Amino acid sequence: MTIHIPRDKWSHSLNRRKLLGYGAAAGLGAAALRFDGMMAQEAVDPTTWTPEFIASQAGTLEVDTAAEMAAIVPLDYTGKVSYWYVGPSEAEPQITHDMDAAFWEAFAATYPNIEVQVTSVGYNDMLDKLRTAALGNAAPMLAKMPILWGVEFAASGQLMNFTPEDAGYSSAEFWPGAMKSVTWDGEVYGVPTNNETMALIWNAALFDEAGLDPESAPATWDDVVAYSAQIKENTGKSGYGLVARVNAGNTPFRFMPQMWAYGGGALDEAEDSPTYQTVYANNEGSIAAVQASYDMYVRDQSVPVSALTNTQAENVDPFIGGQLGMMISHPSEYAKLNDLAANAEGADAELAAQVVENTRYGLIPEGPARRAVVFGGSNIHVMNPDSVDGDIDLDAARALVAFMTGPEWSTKLAWVGSNPGNVRGFQTSWMKERIDTIPFLDVTTSMLPHGIPFPVIPESTEIMNIIIPDMLQNALTETMSVEESCNDAASKIESLLGGL
Amino acid sequence: MAVTSGPDQAVAATSSPTRLSRFWSWITGIVPSMVAHRGDYLYILPALAVMMVVIAYPVYFTINLSFHNTGRALDFDNKVWTGLDNYRLLLTGDYSREFRKVTINTLNWTIWSTLGAFLMGLGAALVVQREFIGRGLVRGILLIPWVISAVAAAYIWRWLYHSDYGLISGVLTELGLIDSNIIFLDSVDMVMPALIVANIWKEFPFAMIMLLAGLQTVPEGLHRAAMVDGASPWNRFFHVTMPHLKGVTIITVLLLTVANLNSFTTVYIMTAGGPANASQIWITDIYRIAFQRVRFDVASAYSVILFLVMMSMGYFYVKALTRGDHRRTIK
Repeated sequence: MTIHIPRDKWSHSLNRRKLLGYGAAAGLGAAALRFDGMMAQEAVDPTTWTPEFIASQAGTLEVDTAAEMAAIVPLDYTGKVSYWYVGPSEAEPQITHDMDAAFWEAFAATYPNIEVQVTSVGYNDMLDKLRTAALGNAAPMLAKMPILWGVEFAASGQLMNFTPEDAGYSSAEFWPGAMKSVTWDGEVYGVPTNNETMALIWNAALFDEAGLDPESAPATWDDVVAYSAQIKENTGKSGYGLVARVNAGNTPFRFMPQMWAYGGGALDEAEDSPTYQTVYANNEGSIAAVQASYDMYVRDQSVPVSALTNTQAENVDPFIGGQLGMMISHPSEYAKLNDLAANAEGADAELAAQVVENTRYGLIPEGPARRAVVFGGSNIHVMNPDSVDGDIDLDAARALVAFMTGPEWSTKLAWVGSNPGNVRGFQTSWMKERIDTIPFLDVTTSMLPHGIPFPVIPESTEIMNIIIPDMLQNALTETMSVEESCNDAASKIESLLGGL
Repeated sequence: MAVTSGPDQAVAATSSPTRLSRFWSWITGIVPSMVAHRGDYLYILPALAVMMVVIAYPVYFTINLSFHNTGRALDFDNKVWTGLDNYRLLLTGDYSREFRKVTINTLNWTIWSTLGAFLMGLGAALVVQREFIGRGLVRGILLIPWVISAVAAAYIWRWLYHSDYGLISGVLTELGLIDSNIIFLDSVDMVMPALIVANIWKEFPFAMIMLLAGLQTVPEGLHRAAMVDGASPWNRFFHVTMPHLKGVTIITVLLLTVANLNSFTTVYIMTAGGPANASQIWITDIYRIAFQRVRFDVASAYSVILFLVMMSMGYFYVKALTRGDHRRTIK
């Protein structure tokens, strides 16, 4: 179901005074629409989203994107919008580049009079750049950010209240975890674009060579430690693709599932009703998780030594080269491996093709407390006019947000790397095509019920990108003992939350 | 010791101007000179205005920010005056342990990089100063590290040093010199020496160029006279060449020191200060605190400390550069 906002509620361009003027009306309207939306459609329950359920609803919905867009912002609207996002990088498969290009072509065809100033920024640079730009009142009108970042900007007053209803949708069309990530202090500051969970991939041939069952993933994190050691001992190759670089998003995405599985965490984010007030970084579960990494890196030396300076991108080549046994990976990894194999030459090509053939996807292992994975994805946000250079053309912004988060493009843009943020996307024929053509998509989507969002507090980025990786590095370099490193991290988190 | 005074001391005391009177005579000398050359000052006024905007204002803003608490909200309009709290946090408070560690890293990085680049540059300058076949080619090759992009160089060195697939370890293993890979960038003990080597490689051509220019000024006649007097090559180097290089040596060392204190690219790209902050230096730590931990207030205090150190370097640099200028220009 699509809910439309009356066209005359919005101005063609917005300055601060106009914004205040429209604020009250928009607030009332959005509240009413949200209520209607929630009544009309029940919120998503991730626990029911089994691979079978996902397959059963794929292809049951026909979507006319242009017609939906016309009801939100007229197709002849003339305007301008600036937009920053983490665009496809060299590490992404070709299909991601193609879909991105197709999206911009489709948007230009649908809204020929809206000029979009697009800036693609690298994943590891975007946060720092956007912070600086917002601080200097030079931010873009729209920014698509990974799920972890938005709350910091919202808490800083650098985002505008903007709900799915403002883009013509219902909040109930999006995953609850995703809506949580765009909510700060009871207000909604963005629209989810895509959501995914990772899985464990392994090289079945290397497992076989090491004397392990080639068709079975390690069931627990303790098994991962044991498997990694066995692979190293029997083949001389690295077992598990540990990542522990500081200020690289890959690190928390790969370590937090392990921490949560053992019953740890940065805060109580893995609990059913997290308060984000209790520090878990030095509880027994967290210490056990760091100890497991220590055992792999220091005791068994069964993981790449370069884990401390590597991002996940540096693990992909050893994996395709048959030098790495297993790693936590993105849904798009299989497509990327296929691309690498297609581009390899000579003996490398044969080896890469074998690795692709022997690649298996499985659930991320469980621990004594639970099976867990980071509930990942991205959201699109409208920046606060005070942080943007000049006025915001809100209608142009709404058009782009709506186009991107609708069932068609939230599915296509997430083709191999993620899943549509708008759950109506799961009902489309494009979703059916994805399920039919993308191997292991059912495995990665079946991790969704185990997804845990990062703490929805402004300090989350520093905790996840700096404090947690620092904790790992302190233990793995033996600068501190495992327990000391956890205590050090806990003390830093407490200081941070205490307002240091 | 008894203090004596006599006619000679009395004469010296009256003829030696005090600091205040020297300053006053400098002012009374320079002001009329500026008035007389006001046209010249008008020419440089646009440049001065630009510098006020792009240098003086940010410096003022940073110093001002260092006395405030900005919180995580980056709300500069509502910043709270906290006096010297940010300096206290850095020097004796919660950041002090990290600050001390980073300061030691910075000293190691700066001293060893400067010394290494200077000595290697001096050696290279002495070699390429002599006439030999292919000298131009060798000079060109030696300049490559300097002209290559710092970012590209950092990535190349990162792969040379890579702990699992690095070229250096690979070659040494092939030659049978080592059994297992040398861990450069992932070891808290090896990372700083490894970075310093990469930095010396990048910087030594600059020292070479500077010292080569200095070597051209050493009079050939003095060398010949020393040879006639039986001076050994070492004696000629230390007693003829080096005294003539004194000025350029001071300037080169100062410039290298300033460059190393400000050197961000190599460290940030190769290790981002890791592992476990073992290669964190002041400039990367300032970036980390400001842009990754979003503490612009503490980072500003940190920057002011670095600024004061740099200004002292700048003072000595200007003094070395303008030695004798005053005598030549103010009459």
